[in-house]
Amino acid sequence: MDQVNSDSAKEAMRTYVKKKGALAFGVADVEVLEKIAPDGYGPKALMPRVKSVISLGVGGGTKGSWAANAKTLAYIGDTETMAYRIAYGLAFMIEKKFGARSIFCPPDMDPEKGARTPLQSLKLHAEVAGIGARSMAGDILLHPEFGMMYYASVFTELEVPPDSPMEENPCPHPSCVKLHAQTGQTPCMKFCPVDCLSGSVDEEGKLKEMHYDAHACAAMSQQYEAIPNILLDMMDAKDPIERGMAVHSPENQMIWYKLSIGAGELLSLCYECMRVCPITQSSLPIKTESRKGGMREKIAEAEAQATMEKEIESGSAS
Amino acid sequence: MNYGVTQELIDTYGEVIFKLSLNKQTRYGDPVRELDFDAIQEQRAGTGLTDEEIAKKIGLLPEQVSIVRVFVERKYHRIDLHRRLFHLGGGKRWKAAEYQHPEERLSIREDGMKLRESIRFDPDRASYYLENNYWTNETMIGWLNTHASDRPNSLSIISTDFTLTWLELKEEVDKLTNGLLGLGLKKGDVVALQLPNIKEFIVSYIAISAIGGVMQTIYMSHGEKDIEYFLNHSKARATISPDHIKNFFVAEKLCNLRSSSDTLDQVIVVGDDIPDGAINYNDLLVEGVPDVGNPPVGSDPFLLLYTSGTTSNPKGVPLTYHNMLGHARLCAPEFGMTENDKILSVAPFCHLFGLYNYHCTFYAGAATVLLPTFSPPEFAKLVQKVSPTALFMGPAHAAAFREKDLLDSHDFSSVNYSVFSGAACPPDLLKWWKSQTGSLVCQLWGMTELAAGTFSRPDMDENIGFNSAGPVSPGNEIRVVSSESGEELSVGLEGELQIRGSSVFPGYFNNDGANKSAFTKDGWFKTGDLAKINEARCLEITGRTKDIINRGGVKYNPSDVEELIFSHPSVDMVAIVPMPDDVLGEKACCFVKLCEGKKLTLEALIQYLETKKMSKAKWPERLEIIDEMPLTPTRKIIKGRLLELLD
Repeated sequence: MDQVNSDSAKEAMRTYVKKKGALAFGVADVEVLEKIAPDGYGPKALMPRVKSVISLGVGGGTKGSWAANAKTLAYIGDTETMAYRIAYGLAFMIEKKFGARSIFCPPDMDPEKGARTPLQSLKLHAEVAGIGARSMAGDILLHPEFGMMYYASVFTELEVPPDSPMEENPCPHPSCVKLHAQTGQTPCMKFCPVDCLSGSVDEEGKLKEMHYDAHACAAMSQQYEAIPNILLDMMDAKDPIERGMAVHSPENQMIWYKLSIGAGELLSLCYECMRVCPITQSSLPIKTESRKGGMREKIAEAEAQATMEKEIESGSAS
Repeated sequence: MNYGVTQELIDTYGEVIFKLSLNKQTRYGDPVRELDFDAIQEQRAGTGLTDEEIAKKIGLLPEQVSIVRVFVERKYHRIDLHRRLFHLGGGKRWKAAEYQHPEERLSIREDGMKLRESIRFDPDRASYYLENNYWTNETMIGWLNTHASDRPNSLSIISTDFTLTWLELKEEVDKLTNGLLGLGLKKGDVVALQLPNIKEFIVSYIAISAIGGVMQTIYMSHGEKDIEYFLNHSKARATISPDHIKNFFVAEKLCNLRSSSDTLDQVIVVGDDIPDGAINYNDLLVEGVPDVGNPPVGSDPFLLLYTSGTTSNPKGVPLTYHNMLGHARLCAPEFGMTENDKILSVAPFCHLFGLYNYHCTFYAGAATVLLPTFSPPEFAKLVQKVSPTALFMGPAHAAAFREKDLLDSHDFSSVNYSVFSGAACPPDLLKWWKSQTGSLVCQLWGMTELAAGTFSRPDMDENIGFNSAGPVSPGNEIRVVSSESGEELSVGLEGELQIRGSSVFPGYFNNDGANKSAFTKDGWFKTGDLAKINEARCLEITGRTKDIINRGGVKYNPSDVEELIFSHPSVDMVAIVPMPDDVLGEKACCFVKLCEGKKLTLEALIQYLETKKMSKAKWPERLEIIDEMPLTPTRKIIKGRLLELLD
């Protein structure tokens, strides 16, 4: 695909994601990502022939949700599933329209590494794609126009012109610089319920230093972290009341509730059966060339063999 | 599957792994956005390394790093941080100083938990009481807030030299609540009160309950040994007492006891003579709206009273708001109490009869008339000055007027009814009281374990009040059973009195032995009283089960003999107890305290009984004249002590 086509493809993608509700769109340079990401966590670790990483951002909760109390916001503030849905659609759109293999970048943890290590940093993609810059609030990305967004990424074998990171970081905001000068804290530092943020601002009003206690933040906001500890607390409980509290206290009950209704998208299957299912594979919207000796070729051969045997049985073979 | 990880490995490398991991992140400047690859590389350790990177850096396997890391994460993890969200947003911002974790805010000390463990009601009965509104979510401070709001300027307390409105009472209670909170007292803590019927008693009582505390009372007559026993048993954390009671420097003694007590921490003193280490009650009156993190609720215990101990050591009786306030709410209308009443309790508030009276008065929004110390002249003077509409008193209080002409010389016409309880009430005495004061007479049978079990109502036929303790109180049911078979007895037959109902306590505190024998399998409390229920379903107490004398297989209750002997002009007090006998098993021994200057012999006593046609089988066979009758603080004879004198 030539450069002109790449540019128009990029515009088509931008138009697609905006139409679906994304606020921001950008393309991250794969080579830059490979250089920055830790070993084994660059895009090529997931998709060896990736040429472009598309990043898109959707807005956070509604204005109303920011005015609601914190426990309500905890339920309705996140919109990442909307971002994922758009990215998922974009991957299909690229394949259908431009015939290039694409994947929706899984926003999940590396199953080999446990709950703290994601397969990819979506934030890094967005930052390099120029649709977010690291803030003083624990590196949450901020956009000068859209503020905090949820991000999703698509990896594609289509090469599209990459964007650059933002020229200016909107954080810290001038009012935060002023407050920091007066009190030594920015608002995000001051109102953090677990004191996980601290840092300083230089003479030019730029971030000088930022400290983020990710562990405390996660303990506060990511309940899945609590589950093994609840189980251990149950085992360590000194009496039946304490044991019962470990299981049945309201906040712990919520964890069981979320688990049982499937919130958090529990792994339900490994997809291997579907990978080799001819019906599933033949229904794919684009047909890619089978690798010689690969699974698709074997499936095609098996299909041809089965068809032939069926015809012989029915006496229709010529 | 340990991958060679030992606890020692975790201890050695855990902290540095935690620090190098993504758990702790530090960034200088904005190197990623600026694509400053050198700076990114320099800051890698600060911005957080993967397990592989950490492993490579410090010389462990990546798998070992993962294990060590999660162990350290577990060490620092707090499950409960999430709940901080519950207090934020919607205009509220995080303020660490204002946040208190529920575990801290709602914590109850181990001693308090032990007391709560003694609160166990039959679940079916509890459901019944709740469904029928015998038990509701009432508390002392809840009632006070209602009165202060509904009738702020009505009188709540009347004394000879001051009055207090409901609003003023609330202000005083709030101040003391602040003071008690300032001492670190909290829900479940026992605070012992040894105060007469004064304003400070009421203020303290409500303030203790406002912080979720449990009030224990100690009778004014109790001395150092008794006090030590009670405080050790209850695990009281604070006391509120006068500086001295007559010539007993109680505050000083309490300060001394504190050094030998595991729990007693604060000695609060009402008075001028404050010993070193004690706290002046007045210094605890702190302005401001109390911030009670763990406020009381209806199911909480709020009273720990002690039985008067006529048969054994006093037993601790925990009572809940459900028990007592629900009871008062049901009983007050039976007396016709309204907010216009002025109720005088001659009975001390340290005793449940006094507290019961106060609860009823409190519920009705009536005024409490204070009589700190009983003496007939003081009592008569107060009645004339304040014009109470009802009196709650013991028969001994009425008897104290008999040889004086105070009733003639003082105006008792304001008294609509007088409620007698606390000991056997001779009908003649009650009739005399009515004739002298013009007040209606009610009789009430109650126990520390249940407050009012039965009582005659003011609007009932007067003979009911003279001759019985009336019908059962609302929310309760009574029955009389055979001591031998346990079967319920018919009307008019004497047997053991049992009671079940919403005011009945859950069981003795820290006393499994007593609890085993106190209740029947179907949840009736065995009162230990002998009684009859008459045709009108009214209760007639006839004695105590333990007083029964078994003379050669013939069992009888000596109470009627005692009553007859009491009518002898030489006798001031009398009690008959069983004494061991080789032939008959038991015989009756009569202990008598004589009136001043009088004499009595066994022969003269028997002759008296014979002329009164008392059955010969019930005549005592030994007479002991004693100078002092052993009495409980509520003036009940301690027959157990008399048994000890038999030898």
